[in-house]
Amino acid sequence: MIQTMKPIHSRVSSALCLLFAAGAVSCGGGSEPVTSTGAGLTVLSGDHQTAFRNGTTGQDLVVEVNSDSAHPVAGATVHWFVTVGDGAPSASAQATDAHGQSRVQYHMGANYGLNVIGATVEGGADTAYFEETAIGSIASIAGGNNVEQRYSSDLTVHGDYAYTGSWNWFPRTAGVDTLGASIAVFHLDGTGAPTRGDSVVIRGTITLSDLQVSDDGQWLVASTEGGNQEGLYVYRLTDPAHPAFVARYLVAAGLHTSTLAVLDGKLYAFTAKNPGAPALMVFDLSQLASDTIVLAATVPVPANYGLHDTFVRGGIAFLFAWNTGVELYDVGNGVKGGSPTNPKAISTIATSGGQAHNGWWFWGPADSKQYLFVGQEGPGSVGSTSSGDIHVLDVSDLLHPAEVAFFHREGAGPHNFWMDEGRQILYAAYYNAGVVAIDVSGTLSGDLGAREIGHVLPGGAQGTYTWGVQLVGTSLYDIDMLDGFRQLNALAP
Amino acid sequence: MRLSSLAATVLLLGPASAAAQMTMEIDADSPSGRPWALLSATAITAYTWMSRVPRGASLDEFHLVQPIVMLQAGALRDRLRFEGAIDFEGATMPNGELGPGLWGEGFIDRRHPHTYFHELILSGAVPLPGGLHVSLAAGKGFAPYGTDDPMNRPAELFPVNHHWSQILERAVLIAGVQWRPLVLEAGLFNGDEPENPSQWPNLSRFGDSRSIRLLIHPIEGVELQGSHAVVKSPEHRPGAGSDNYKWSASVRVERPLLGGRGYLLGEWAHNSEFDGFFTFRSWLIESAWSGGRQRPYYRYENTDRPEESRTQNPFRGVRPHLENSIIGSSRWSVHTAGYGVELGSTRRLGIEPFVEVSYARVRKLGGGIYDPQLIYGGDSFWRLTTAVRLNWRMQGHRMGRYGVTAGQGVADTQMTHLMK
Repeated sequence: MIQTMKPIHSRVSSALCLLFAAGAVSCGGGSEPVTSTGAGLTVLSGDHQTAFRNGTTGQDLVVEVNSDSAHPVAGATVHWFVTVGDGAPSASAQATDAHGQSRVQYHMGANYGLNVIGATVEGGADTAYFEETAIGSIASIAGGNNVEQRYSSDLTVHGDYAYTGSWNWFPRTAGVDTLGASIAVFHLDGTGAPTRGDSVVIRGTITLSDLQVSDDGQWLVASTEGGNQEGLYVYRLTDPAHPAFVARYLVAAGLHTSTLAVLDGKLYAFTAKNPGAPALMVFDLSQLASDTIVLAATVPVPANYGLHDTFVRGGIAFLFAWNTGVELYDVGNGVKGGSPTNPKAISTIATSGGQAHNGWWFWGPADSKQYLFVGQEGPGSVGSTSSGDIHVLDVSDLLHPAEVAFFHREGAGPHNFWMDEGRQILYAAYYNAGVVAIDVSGTLSGDLGAREIGHVLPGGAQGTYTWGVQLVGTSLYDIDMLDGFRQLNALAP
Repeated sequence: MRLSSLAATVLLLGPASAAAQMTMEIDADSPSGRPWALLSATAITAYTWMSRVPRGASLDEFHLVQPIVMLQAGALRDRLRFEGAIDFEGATMPNGELGPGLWGEGFIDRRHPHTYFHELILSGAVPLPGGLHVSLAAGKGFAPYGTDDPMNRPAELFPVNHHWSQILERAVLIAGVQWRPLVLEAGLFNGDEPENPSQWPNLSRFGDSRSIRLLIHPIEGVELQGSHAVVKSPEHRPGAGSDNYKWSASVRVERPLLGGRGYLLGEWAHNSEFDGFFTFRSWLIESAWSGGRQRPYYRYENTDRPEESRTQNPFRGVRPHLENSIIGSSRWSVHTAGYGVELGSTRRLGIEPFVEVSYARVRKLGGGIYDPQLIYGGDSFWRLTTAVRLNWRMQGHRMGRYGVTAGQGVADTQMTHLMK
């Protein structure tokens, strides 16, 4: 955001200039003094650039100094300084040229993110600001084009294996039946590179909508929708290369997502039941050893498209309930005395634009739990276009959450998130915009557009529609509906 | 199904029981001033074959389509009118009707059955000084938008643009004003479209949608139409779906021609959603001529269609919607030609065997994963229908015309026997 105070250009003074163009009054700049109250700075070019960290912006940062009568002033001293970021301008003070311009190069520092550079003219009152972003490189390392017969859906990575799901609401390959959602198994070698292995077909279902391995690595849990066998499926990972079916719980209308959480020593799945009677369905998975899934609770959600996803952490379940917004439930935190078997509503906030789809509660440095990131899934054409923003809620007060910031990317909308909490980087799957990395350090307010610090189109410009990401060590794994499963490099420290 | 029993009862007993107490006169001026009522019925027994359906194979089927019983009535010199139409398609074709490019209300590549109560409208119209006529209509029926119900038009096959060019089966409140050749109608209604034949409009949403239509009749038999509608979340009953911004323009001509009666309709429609994120448009022209026993007709349309995720049944989309995304768009070009011959008709009963042939092509529009080759195994379609249309005491009622527009023009499908 440019924050510059521009001088008031008086029509009277302009007229005087014309009248006395050949006279004693100088109107062309160069010799007119800069007063302490009237001098103005105008940003000519160089604002809103990105450059790799430790690199230099492509364009110079240029300001023009104008006199009280709006004419360029030569020889004025412009001071350049940095208010945010660790970069440096090529000069800290510079005299304007014959056109009243001062220009510097800007060298990014070692840190990613926003740099704010100020320029002020000696003797003047105005300050012009530039916002530049230090970015990093996210690139493909291995994989891709490895789930050719079907469109891909979710991913989960654990240990030396990764699992991806299939989205079969429309055929991708002639002769391949859309009935029978499948799990593709990938082995990850010592470098993290994936190799395609076994496949597991979930008969009687159309799409595998969500996939997650329990933290202990024992169970692979999948939610499915479509067909006549839709619901929750659990596989044993005693042999992680070959998931073995354990149990299922059929849910008419299907489950759109599932999120695993351990609460009070028990493993639960928080699932989003599809409309017409949308609901949060909580399943007790603590008896999987005896091949049993137990329904622990059902919490109806307004049929405003209903529930799309959940995020469970610290005993709080965040329900991303489309136009209803985000519903917060106590499922063991204690703030409202709730539990997994008896969730208690805490609060609800309607995010701007509605279409609340997914989220991540960011636990940052110094135990900060201030921000909840919410993905808005706007309209799209699967495989090519998408829309929607990321909305940032301040949930410091769980009873009164408030929206404080947003991230908008033109021509695309977000899907699922993963957060590098130590380094305060949000990785967002962004459908046709691939994978986007956003600096979420510090205070978040207003438009976060200048905080994009990394971007990649895993499948190229025409072959990318990214569903989800997961960070594992220095590798960032993505699942793309078109491109399949791929290992990327995360932003380097 | 209880309603199918009701249908049989009305079809068999209704005409006999009702005939004694009704007059056959339908005259806008109703000079006698006596109340009147008319019970009528229509239906088509149709055998349809399509060369290509989802998953590639050909398919044929036999249905009773467009089975409708109508009750129309008037009183107070026709200032008070009732238009009722019961549509039994929910019982006779619950899985819809095959047709290239047809879609809507959860059906894909099939036309959905309409709701049992297609039209239940009470309207009042009064003349005012200065040649003005004003009216108010309320009930369940058509919003004042777009062109005629395809059931009132020449072809048996519905056009692809049905959901761009008509808004029907809503709870409506319509005000109309007529001054000489100008008619202006404005309506409030519920945005939600039906999800099944038994479903009533969601009255809690009444008034969330609106439309306005201007009709101009510059000379007899010519009607120019322009209309605009804002329809809230038609495809998601609780109201979370996209709002539709619709525009329609048309010219309709119904004139004597070559010793018979000529009919011509040209229309354009445009539909925009999410501030133009999705746009769909349609062009259509259709014509018919009725003379003696003959009724040849032809239609061409070029219409865009949103493509949806399909369920295990390839003719069905996912309902209720989970989100606002589609998988792409398609453009359908459909030629339909037909020829009917009226047999043994009287003014009370019309029997018209006809044959109808359609040829359609589809192509993908823009991005998205939709690919007609994958779903159909090709991009061209033939459709053949051989059918018999039965009209019993039909008087050419154009559905969707209420109050000041009631009685204007004649439904083309009933033209031949009305000329007897």
